[in-house]
Amino acid sequence: MEDYKYLFKVVLIGNAGVGKTCLVRRFTEGLFPPGQGATIGVDFMIKTVDVDGEKVKLQIWDTAGQERFRSITQAYYRSANALILVYDVCCQNSFDSLPQWLNEIELYAGSKVLTFLVGNKVDKMSKEIPTQIGQQFAQRYDMTFIETSAKECENVEKLFMDIARGLTKRARDLNLQPEENNEFPSGGSTPISTFSCCKI
Amino acid sequence: MATIRVDATSPGNKNVENLTDIDEIQKAYDELCREENVIAEELSSVFEHQAMLENKMVGLHKTLPNLQILQNDSKQLSSMISFTSTLAENVSSKVRKLDLAKSQVSQCITRVEDILDLKFCTDGVQTALQNEDYEKAAGHVHRFRNLDESVIRMSADSSEGGTLETSFRMLYESEEKLKTIVNSKFSAAVHSGDVASVERFFKIFPLLGMHEEGLTKFGKYLSSQLSETADRNLKIALDSSGDVKRSSVLYADTIIMLLEGIARTVEVHQPLVETYYGPGKLIVLLKILQKECDRQVRKVVEKFKQSREYDKKVRLVQTSLIAQKQNSQENRLDPMEVDLLLSEIVLINNRSELYLRFMKRKAMGDLETSEQESKLMEEGKVEVEKLINESDLSRLMQELIGNYIMMEEYFMKEMVVKAVNMDVTDEGAKTSSMVDDAFFIVKKSVRRTISSSSVDGVCAMLNHAGSTLEQDFREVLYTRLRGGYPSGFDLQQAYNIMQSSFQQGKLTSSDQEKEKARTLFLTALNNSEVSCDYCKALKTSLDEEVNKLYSYCNEHSKAKLETCLNDLGSVPARFKDVVDFGFSQLTSSAVKPRIKPLVDTFLATGHNLTEEEFSNFEANDPWLQNFIANLDNMLKSFKESLTNGNNERFVNLITGEISVQLEKAVIKTAFNRLGGLQFDKELRSLVGYLTSVTTWTIRDKFARLTQMATILNLEKVSEILDYWGQNSGPLTWRLTPTEVRQILSLRVDFRSEDIKRLKL
Repeated sequence: MEDYKYLFKVVLIGNAGVGKTCLVRRFTEGLFPPGQGATIGVDFMIKTVDVDGEKVKLQIWDTAGQERFRSITQAYYRSANALILVYDVCCQNSFDSLPQWLNEIELYAGSKVLTFLVGNKVDKMSKEIPTQIGQQFAQRYDMTFIETSAKECENVEKLFMDIARGLTKRARDLNLQPEENNEFPSGGSTPISTFSCCKI
Repeated sequence: MATIRVDATSPGNKNVENLTDIDEIQKAYDELCREENVIAEELSSVFEHQAMLENKMVGLHKTLPNLQILQNDSKQLSSMISFTSTLAENVSSKVRKLDLAKSQVSQCITRVEDILDLKFCTDGVQTALQNEDYEKAAGHVHRFRNLDESVIRMSADSSEGGTLETSFRMLYESEEKLKTIVNSKFSAAVHSGDVASVERFFKIFPLLGMHEEGLTKFGKYLSSQLSETADRNLKIALDSSGDVKRSSVLYADTIIMLLEGIARTVEVHQPLVETYYGPGKLIVLLKILQKECDRQVRKVVEKFKQSREYDKKVRLVQTSLIAQKQNSQENRLDPMEVDLLLSEIVLINNRSELYLRFMKRKAMGDLETSEQESKLMEEGKVEVEKLINESDLSRLMQELIGNYIMMEEYFMKEMVVKAVNMDVTDEGAKTSSMVDDAFFIVKKSVRRTISSSSVDGVCAMLNHAGSTLEQDFREVLYTRLRGGYPSGFDLQQAYNIMQSSFQQGKLTSSDQEKEKARTLFLTALNNSEVSCDYCKALKTSLDEEVNKLYSYCNEHSKAKLETCLNDLGSVPARFKDVVDFGFSQLTSSAVKPRIKPLVDTFLATGHNLTEEEFSNFEANDPWLQNFIANLDNMLKSFKESLTNGNNERFVNLITGEISVQLEKAVIKTAFNRLGGLQFDKELRSLVGYLTSVTTWTIRDKFARLTQMATILNLEKVSEILDYWGQNSGPLTWRLTPTEVRQILSLRVDFRSEDIKRLKL
């Protein structure tokens, strides 16, 4: 097997065209591919990073933003260790959709998921959503906020490294106190039935 | 050299007059004498060289005249070479001129030929047109189109220009005429449905340089044909009430027919296009056909949605999913209602994927035979990808699969709920029906998704399968185990009561409930254990199924599938946790309380024995027989209700517990020599019994007790040294020296000074 200490799943979500694929490409391949077509279904990349001398493997799932892929992308929320919710700072619409996305997270993701709110495309001149507004929104919903530019390679590395560090820290803390992890983790879903109605 | 020496000695010379001391004078004199000798030697060696140098000079004088000759010769040679070079220059320039002349002549000849061709074409076109031999006429026009008109015009001299001009004019006219004719004839052929003529004129278009136009017209013609067939097929499909067997996949069949029809059309006409239009042109035709395909598929899909009440069901499932999440029983659609619909959707998607792969392969194949230039190639590839990915067909299928995944998830989860609600334990069965049922459903759903050959769909469904098992189903098992195993009631007794109650048909309600809870607990424990295995088996079988998809997946999709499959591989460990939890419950409520009183019977039996007691014990065992009988009863009753794996684990647990408690009891007991012997015997039969009821090795668990028995069985204290330290041989002591002393002190007949004196 490959040599790594921790493996984390990171899932990117957000409206179509906010630059999810570009963020992933920039981070994993150092590229900014212009004229990228819309993602179909779910794309998948792996990058191993170094956190305090330990190898941490990030499994990055880049989902399609279009509505018709929604049910496919929802299947990835549950096992995600971190979610990156992306909006376009030049597109009010993509910001206005955030509550809907939060609703999805609420419904499908595990309760312990680490969530980052990312305002992408800060290189563009026509910024519509001020940093302050994004920051406030993130605070209200307990998310970490960061503004990025996949094109100018701004904060992209930081975003993913912050996630890797955050998750590694959490995993280490969990290892230190394994006793507290004994309760049954029920994740984001509810039990399907009780046994009151079974026959013997 | 000499000057240096003079310089060096000069101060000496200068100071000669100042020398007053005889020794110094003598010294200066010696110095001068030595110098004189040196100089004399040098001088003589110079003289020696003189003869040799003179000889050389004479030699040089002799060679002098020869050198002059050499110089003259060289000059001559050089002038000769330069002459030759000029000559060569002259010759080669002539050759070049000749070459030029030759190429001009040959160009001239081609031009003459061109002009002849032109004349030939001019005449040919006329007659061919008159004879309605359009292929020939088009051939002439094609030839003419390939001529370099401006060059011919240039080379023509003025007197002949007139005829050339007429020829050109005539040919242009003919070309125009031919284009019109071919266009109208093609349309007429299409109109009359004359396939042979359609193909005939289709082949003429490229000769007239009308590639795009020809392909477009032909594409439209093929499209109209496809549309006709498709309409007919759809009509037949809608009218047919006959074939019941296929009625559940009626629309899938219709779409399959449509797609196969288009694929066949492409297959048939691809060679025609490649031969007459050249490579790299197929995409034009494919684009037109794809448009028609999109149109027709949309029609069928609309009918499909209408007749299968697709939108209504999608909406119902959406609300049902929310109800499912909130654990409300209201408004939940019966999952069987969507079962057939789901099967039809996967079939439709499967064929669409097959078709799209076919189209992509055709387009890529044609592209690869045409352009070599990498940039054009890249552009071509992008165009092909766009054709495939942005087609309505792709989009329609993505929408279908999207809703399909949602409905399949609901189907799977709801069916698992049903399986749990309808859980039945057959008499004598160790597990209940819900395990088999739940895993069957999960497998069915994932397999169905795999048969859609949608990679993203399969990945999503694998995720859902994992969460259904790992969360929903596991929670059910966990909840049942959390209740714990009801204690304070002997199982054998319970078993008897149950037997009799079956006969009598009644049972006191509290006993009944307790018994029910017990069975429920053990069944849940068994269910959890087999779930581990079922999970592994499920993964293995899905691995195989998914493998079949790999053959037409790219590396990227393959990696995605593998990752999602691997996630499923972690589910068994989660069930293992549940089994562990169940056993911890069982240990505290059933194992510990039962072993304790059994071990107490050992404590109640003295091990400080007289001869008489010892021999009496040999005949009438004081506790062990009863101990083993009780244990055997308990193990047997559990064995009946536990799976093999769980039973092994249970025996193992019991064995561990016995060894721990017995050890505690031994330390509280006083022994003499005979008592030690008795204990050794007892331990041997206990270990013998326990070995007979399990396949696991238990000797290890009893190692400490066995060693205690050995110590208690010693003749005298010092004998321990025969087994200790260097003498231990293959025996590994599990007791610490302190413990050894402690055990030794249990022997009432051992003196404590002896024990203290031991060097361990």
